[in-house]
Amino acid sequence: MIDFREASVVAPSSDVRILESTTLSLDQRRVAIIGANGSGKSTLARLINGLILPTEGSVIVNGRDTRTDTAAVRRDVGFLFTDPSAQLIMPTAIEDVALSLRRTIKGKEKRTTAALDRLEEIGLASHSHVSVHALSGGQRQLLALAGVLAVEPSILVADEPTTLLDLRWRAHVDALIDALPIQVIEITHDLDAAARAERVIVVDQATVAFDGIPRTAIAFYRDLLTHPPPGPHRD
Amino acid sequence: MIDAFGLYRPRRTPLHATPAWLKVLGLTCGAVALLLTHGPVAATTGLVSAIALLVSTLPPLRPTLRGLFPVVVMAVLMGGYQWFRGDRAGAAEFAADFLAISCLALALTTSTPLDEAMGLVAWAARPFRRVVPPEAVGLVFALAARAIPQITMILQDSADAARARGLGRSIRATVVPATVRTFGWALDVGDAITARGLAESAPASSNA
Repeated sequence: MIDFREASVVAPSSDVRILESTTLSLDQRRVAIIGANGSGKSTLARLINGLILPTEGSVIVNGRDTRTDTAAVRRDVGFLFTDPSAQLIMPTAIEDVALSLRRTIKGKEKRTTAALDRLEEIGLASHSHVSVHALSGGQRQLLALAGVLAVEPSILVADEPTTLLDLRWRAHVDALIDALPIQVIEITHDLDAAARAERVIVVDQATVAFDGIPRTAIAFYRDLLTHPPPGPHRD
Repeated sequence: MIDAFGLYRPRRTPLHATPAWLKVLGLTCGAVALLLTHGPVAATTGLVSAIALLVSTLPPLRPTLRGLFPVVVMAVLMGGYQWFRGDRAGAAEFAADFLAISCLALALTTSTPLDEAMGLVAWAARPFRRVVPPEAVGLVFALAARAIPQITMILQDSADAARARGLGRSIRATVVPATVRTFGWALDVGDAITARGLAESAPASSNA
């Protein structure tokens, strides 16, 4: 259960509101957040695991305030980034998953076995000792997902996880995320993925512009995007 | 550029079974011995022994050769400079010692997972735990190893982009975007480390 209680975010150097006061309760298993570039959807997502703290208001995740219980919230909320290259730290797949397990599993042997199990579950066991640089973009995203899921979070926030992938890997990663038995909040430009969610939130100009079932939310978003983007234009 | 820690493969060799601290001690002693002994016999013996030690870890062939290539180039260039200055014996000895120490270092990294090396670095940092958490020092070590190939890739991409714009001769056209991208990558890595809970003590930003 994720509660935004009048949470707003102001950019530090410019007083610009990058998220207006937002009150939302997210308890559905699958929630999609869609919106134009720079609309504030990633800010909304980053508030959930405390990567960004609200300037005003609060965000409560499973009863914990992200401001006062940040470490516990982060243990509970996994975050998958668009570009896995920033998320992967160790040189090989198995070492990277084992890194996630350092806090929860003591003993190198046990940790390595557990990491191999996680890779097996996600279909990367045969690449366990391959350098992360030698993996394809799709395999890297899978590995990043394995690293996030290794600590068994109860919520996964995925920030455009398939944007950099080709169609085949996009379908594969989508299928894996869809099959997860945990709550998933997915920020996406992929309207097919949004259509599979139980609830879709449309963010526009730093505010929640629409919140509802996929069909009507996507229709609203399509209509919204028929207007030209803000900025200089010629007549 | 060498991505030494990416060369590790799990094998059943004597060096793989040796604890990381003992290998680091051996590397240090070996390097000091190479630098203190002089003459063609000592240099040749040292180089052959170091290569044999590296081969004994059964390293992956192509990545290892790729990793050694810049070391060989550097040894040839620096040895060549000494040769040019008239010190032929010194040039050969320097090149042999440089290659031998590099092979010893590679033998260490091909037989030691980064996880274990991190543990060793964190252990070594324990006397300073009042100043900095040892686990954080281990993580910094891992990140430094990770950053080398990443920054190399960013530099190559930036150089390609500069060439594509017809600015292949402009150092600024490569360095400026590479620097900006490296900072961007570092910020993303910081976010990812925080999100993965690997830096629990690190405060979150209160803004974007």
